[in-house]
Amino acid sequence: MNLERLPNEEKLGLCRKYYLIGFAFLPFLWLVNVVWFFQEAFIKPAYSEQLQIKSYVKRSALGLLVWVTVLTTWITIFQRFRAEWGEVGDYISFTIPLGTP
Amino acid sequence: MCCISSFYVFVTWSQIFTKPPCAFILFAYFFKIFFYFSGVGCNSVEKKIYVHLNYTFPCVRLLNATHQIGCQSSLSGNVGVLHELESEENLDWVLTSGPNPPYMVILESRLFTRSIMMKLKEGSGRVAGVVVVAPNINPPEGFSPHTACPNDNSGVYTENYDPTLAHCNATVWNPLGNGLAYEEFDFPIFSVKDDNDTRVIRQCYQDHNRRVNGSNPQFPLCAMQLRSSMSAVTNTATCKRRNDINFSLTPDRVCDELGDFNIWASSRPMNTTTKGHKEFESVVIAAARMDSRSFFFDIAPGAESTASGIVTLLAAAHALRRATQEAPPNRTILYTFFQGETFDYIGSSRMVYDMENNQFPLDLDNIHSVLEVSQVYILIYLGLWLHSDPVSRKNSSVKEEVEKLVNGLKSASAGLNVSVDEPDVSQPLPPSSFQRFLLARPIPGVVIGNYRSSFTNRYYESMYDNAEYLNVSYPENMTSEEQLEHFPETVKTLTEVATLVARALYVQAGGNETQLANITADPQIVNQMLYSFLVRANNSWLQQLVPTDFTNHLADRPTNFYVGVIQYFSEPTTLVQYMLANMTGSVVNVTQEDCQKQREDKDDDQSKHLYTYMWVQGAAPPNSTEREGFCVRSTVHRSIAVSPAFELHEYTTSNYSTWTESVWKPITGRIFLVANTTITANPVNYFVKLWGKKWRHKQARTSHL
Repeated sequence: MNLERLPNEEKLGLCRKYYLIGFAFLPFLWLVNVVWFFQEAFIKPAYSEQLQIKSYVKRSALGLLVWVTVLTTWITIFQRFRAEWGEVGDYISFTIPLGTP
Repeated sequence: MCCISSFYVFVTWSQIFTKPPCAFILFAYFFKIFFYFSGVGCNSVEKKIYVHLNYTFPCVRLLNATHQIGCQSSLSGNVGVLHELESEENLDWVLTSGPNPPYMVILESRLFTRSIMMKLKEGSGRVAGVVVVAPNINPPEGFSPHTACPNDNSGVYTENYDPTLAHCNATVWNPLGNGLAYEEFDFPIFSVKDDNDTRVIRQCYQDHNRRVNGSNPQFPLCAMQLRSSMSAVTNTATCKRRNDINFSLTPDRVCDELGDFNIWASSRPMNTTTKGHKEFESVVIAAARMDSRSFFFDIAPGAESTASGIVTLLAAAHALRRATQEAPPNRTILYTFFQGETFDYIGSSRMVYDMENNQFPLDLDNIHSVLEVSQVYILIYLGLWLHSDPVSRKNSSVKEEVEKLVNGLKSASAGLNVSVDEPDVSQPLPPSSFQRFLLARPIPGVVIGNYRSSFTNRYYESMYDNAEYLNVSYPENMTSEEQLEHFPETVKTLTEVATLVARALYVQAGGNETQLANITADPQIVNQMLYSFLVRANNSWLQQLVPTDFTNHLADRPTNFYVGVIQYFSEPTTLVQYMLANMTGSVVNVTQEDCQKQREDKDDDQSKHLYTYMWVQGAAPPNSTEREGFCVRSTVHRSIAVSPAFELHEYTTSNYSTWTESVWKPITGRIFLVANTTITANPVNYFVKLWGKKWRHKQARTSHL
């Protein structure tokens, strides 16, 4: 989809939709929002809806950052300590490596 | 690999014919053709690169409640540059100064010691694996990879029972034990025989890897890849838990418990369908163990530790057959062979557990006394020692019974070439199945062994405890038939010991002393059994005693006594079962169909509670080649020998054996030349560098244009 051909209201509507649906545990939508609308929000010359688009992009970026931090922390802890958790670690794993703890 | 590529060529040929049915038929036709030819005349590139090692014995991983022991390799195998270790000082090359780590170390058997292996264990990434070359003659100084105090925590001697006797405080039973088999290694250790394969390895090393005039060997170097990837980790509870996981994406079996069957037979038939206590039945248990192990998997010749005891007890059972039938003694004699005793008394602990829980045709209260035959190989001028438990002897009734048993043994030895004696009164029992019975009840019992206060067996639980150690050798140029007629010296002494055991058992069971002179063991039977266990089970005598479907399980090499994972036809257990049936049973005139249905005729449904019927293939009469089978009726039964810990699902218990064996991916070994170590260590890096070079070349060429 080429954003150039869309009128500004539709751009705003799209950005808002991606922002709102991203709350349903879909951080990739926020990533898409940030990457796709970055040029529209910060680089293009000002137009009437740009302010709202800018705010949506900023909030998407914030949400994305929170998700990335949480996931990275959890993944690091899991990979490092799963072996020591014994039964609990095995219970929450889908595949368990063979031959190493 | 080349077969697959040629197969694809033919698939594309078939696509020339565009009509689908025609293409399919042609495809199927060539597929079939190529399956026939794939084994023959395939000019495989793989065969030109790799030399596969054929007769290798790996070291595998075993787990118990708290530890894992044994060896592990990476999933695709550990690769290392070969290095033949000359001495312990030469370890420095492997561990610090060698320029091409990781190394695959080749050890002669004299260097396979605890100190060298512990140093290699600390090698931290520079040691890819170890290959031990098994010599053709046993090392004279002795070697025992077992612990110095076997079955320390699973017998009767704990702190509660008597702290002065626990943990071998009173006497160390296996002083040569270096405990290597109970260490954990993170690289594979294989054993190869000193034959053609090994010559290829050594030649490869001499040609490529040796240092010449102090300079480092240059690439290409000879390397070896050993693969023995084990799936289980940590301990039994963990691996059992991972076996049972249901929702995992890839459910894999990770480990299996060690176990097999115990074999027992009674001198007088008794109802085996009713379990639990039997009124008016008093039993003397004649016990022996049926298993052994070594550092490596699937090789456990156990000549002195196991085979001598089995053969003695079987010969004694044969000697007692007539006396127990014609002049039966008061008490029944129960000949019991326990499997899995090396691994914390699997068989005997299970039998005691079954007796306590009314799962066995007898009860612990039915047991009058126990006589166990431990390692009994002796030279003529030496004697046997009668071990008993000092703690239970403090009870006067037990003391009296033990003294009666000892006196019976001493008087039985009077007319024979064997002398018996008692060791120090305060000395504990050696590691023996009787200890598990003592744990349950203070039963009087004696363990017969050829050692006074520490094993005389220099190769206890190692791969050197073989026919050579027992001086059982048959001239090479004789056929199997002739070898069975030839009697080594050992046979005569073992026959004397068997006669001693038989007479003592008869007296202990309350038999009449006047019958003793008629009880003698047959040296020919002893010879045939020793030959079957120590040299080759596939011989003419044994082929007569087994049913037809077991004959292809008879091996052409010494019996492997390792208990392993439970299977229906395990080699030592089944051999003992059929031999015992032949020794104690009788031939009955019953049709094959009735025999296999455990009855004497169509209307008989009582016999199956008392007897076991086996149809064996027998011998071929002189004029024909068809064997004439017959039915053997005996009281031989199998009872399951899997640790109670697995029945109760208590995988962390210290009361029972918790040994399991890991499941592994295919075990292979091969040698090849390697051009540059970086390809083995980091293939991506290597190819990136190679591409980088090529790209620079290309740049250089185009810039000239």
